[in-house]
Amino acid sequence: MTRWAAGLLSLAVAVALALMVVSPRLGGQQKAPAAPATGSGPKATAKAPAAMPYAPAVTPSELAAMSYPQRFAALCAACHGANGRNETPLTPVLAGQPSLYVITQLFLFREGRRSNEVMTAVAKTLTDDDLRGFSEFIETLPPVPPPPPDTPPDPIRMDRGRALAEQHKCVFCHGAGLSGGQQVPLIGGQHEDYVQVSLRGFHSGSRPGYTQAMTEAVSQISPEDLDTLAYYVARFRGPVGALTGK
Amino acid sequence: MKQVRSLVVLATLCCIGLPALAQPTPPPAAEPGWAKGRPKTDTAMKMAPVPAFPIPTAPDKLPTSKFKLPPGFKVETWASGVLDARGLREGAKGNLFVSSLFVANKVYVIPEQGNHQPKVIIDKMPYATGIEFHDGSLYVATNTKIMRYDNVEDKLDNLGEPKVLYDKLPGGNDHSWRYLRIRDNKLYYAIGAPCNICDPGPYGKIFRMNLDGSNIETIASGVRNTVGFDFDPKTGDLWFTDNGRDWFSEELPNDELNHVTKPGQEHFGYPFCHQGNIPDPEFGWGKSCDEYVKPAALLGPHSASLGLTFYRGNMFPAKYQGAMFIARHGPWNRTKKYADISVAWPDGKGGARVETFMTGFVENNSYLGRPVDFLVLKDGSMLVSDDHAGAIYRISYGK
Repeated sequence: MTRWAAGLLSLAVAVALALMVVSPRLGGQQKAPAAPATGSGPKATAKAPAAMPYAPAVTPSELAAMSYPQRFAALCAACHGANGRNETPLTPVLAGQPSLYVITQLFLFREGRRSNEVMTAVAKTLTDDDLRGFSEFIETLPPVPPPPPDTPPDPIRMDRGRALAEQHKCVFCHGAGLSGGQQVPLIGGQHEDYVQVSLRGFHSGSRPGYTQAMTEAVSQISPEDLDTLAYYVARFRGPVGALTGK
Repeated sequence: MKQVRSLVVLATLCCIGLPALAQPTPPPAAEPGWAKGRPKTDTAMKMAPVPAFPIPTAPDKLPTSKFKLPPGFKVETWASGVLDARGLREGAKGNLFVSSLFVANKVYVIPEQGNHQPKVIIDKMPYATGIEFHDGSLYVATNTKIMRYDNVEDKLDNLGEPKVLYDKLPGGNDHSWRYLRIRDNKLYYAIGAPCNICDPGPYGKIFRMNLDGSNIETIASGVRNTVGFDFDPKTGDLWFTDNGRDWFSEELPNDELNHVTKPGQEHFGYPFCHQGNIPDPEFGWGKSCDEYVKPAALLGPHSASLGLTFYRGNMFPAKYQGAMFIARHGPWNRTKKYADISVAWPDGKGGARVETFMTGFVENNSYLGRPVDFLVLKDGSMLVSDDHAGAIYRISYGK
């Protein structure tokens, strides 16, 4: 090994360690994924929000008097976007999610099983009626397509992602359009960083599902392939794979 | 640059300690046990087990007023807000115990006096589903172990640590939840097949053990998944419901009501023969249904027949005394949904006659509620748990 290569190696180690040190700031279980093994990771991983103190601009009694659309605007929109899509790092797109999926996740946050500091803090304040009200409202938010990508998707990686999605039977539950339904989320066009962290969480066991479906589905998939799947579903624009020129 | 990138990759891999550096393409994800045998058609591919809803139905939205029963019977809401209510057992000092399955991970107690508010006595325990009460102790069985909490009704604020009677249950997710009964100082439990259809190995059986966990004996073999059994008060015979295999067709096979007449010596067919007369398309080769004990009655395709309880009270008309109540939880892998409470009478010749008893759980092909288990109270009325709505109903009879 040449001297410069050794230097680069130690630099890389330092960077990787730094990433690991930073990760606890993300709070709860949503640790930063270790640097993706394939080089072209999601652009947002480095700058995740430090566990921000949750301080909505309204008091609980004011909230209680509002309709669920108003409460969504006051409580959720800052991170998730007024229309249910925002570019906040590690924050999922809610637009287009089925209400049953949403209520199961709010339930897991409230029970403390799915851990995320911010979401658990919010969910602990919600009654059963609130869980129902928020999930039913969120289902009415129409899907919002992602903004056009800065760079066109890598066709080789997209092909690999599509093959993995077929091999690992993602479409069994998420559907050919990756649009979900019932207790299964919409994942087509979901943020890559969020999908990546979720898949890795299901794989390591740190992210519990409402059922065992995802834990079982990803148990045999390598971290590299999980990242490729995240890359693929985030850029997925329809079942025919139009973006890859096929 | 390529070299640099590979070094970064290497360094990263070293840091996060990936176990397999040069692993070849991994095998596809193991198909979940419930999906084995599922046809690859669009309709079937959209069907998957549906867990209970995460929020109990609000008291004023419960389906109680929609239930239909034979003349003279009435049903009321006995408790609401009991998330994922599954098994029902009664203590000796006026307490009802309620277990749960996939959602709540809890065991509740509900005092029979007062306003029937559930109180959580066991929490964060996955598959806390099998419960039984005996001599002051609450027995709890999960997918991995069987435990006993002594003097439980005197320690409802803090049960303390249980005594573990047995910790070698196979775990897993498929058919790994328990149903318990105690009779003549033996604890009866079942271990279902770890899949929809497969060779169940040493499982797919009803077992019993001494109350200290020793001396395990097989009571019945060839049992796919029973989540309801009870002893005929007249004969002492064990009767059990068994959930038939999935994905054979929408209409076949039926779930079974079975009758054990020679404990330990009988095989009820799984995985070789279903409903007594359908050889399995894969495991049935070289076998004949005549080699296995036939069901006493058929309980409907994919009906998910769960709790089974002999009525031992005095309130219901004579016709129902000594009859079995059966909770048909309703199918998840069948296009047309149905669920009800049925009642069955041993016909004295090894079979049984079945009648529908209470309907109203389904509206517009959706579940409003799904019955699971029963408990006959001292006054002769009968409680029914509903995990979908998170409620307990009370059925009574009067002029």
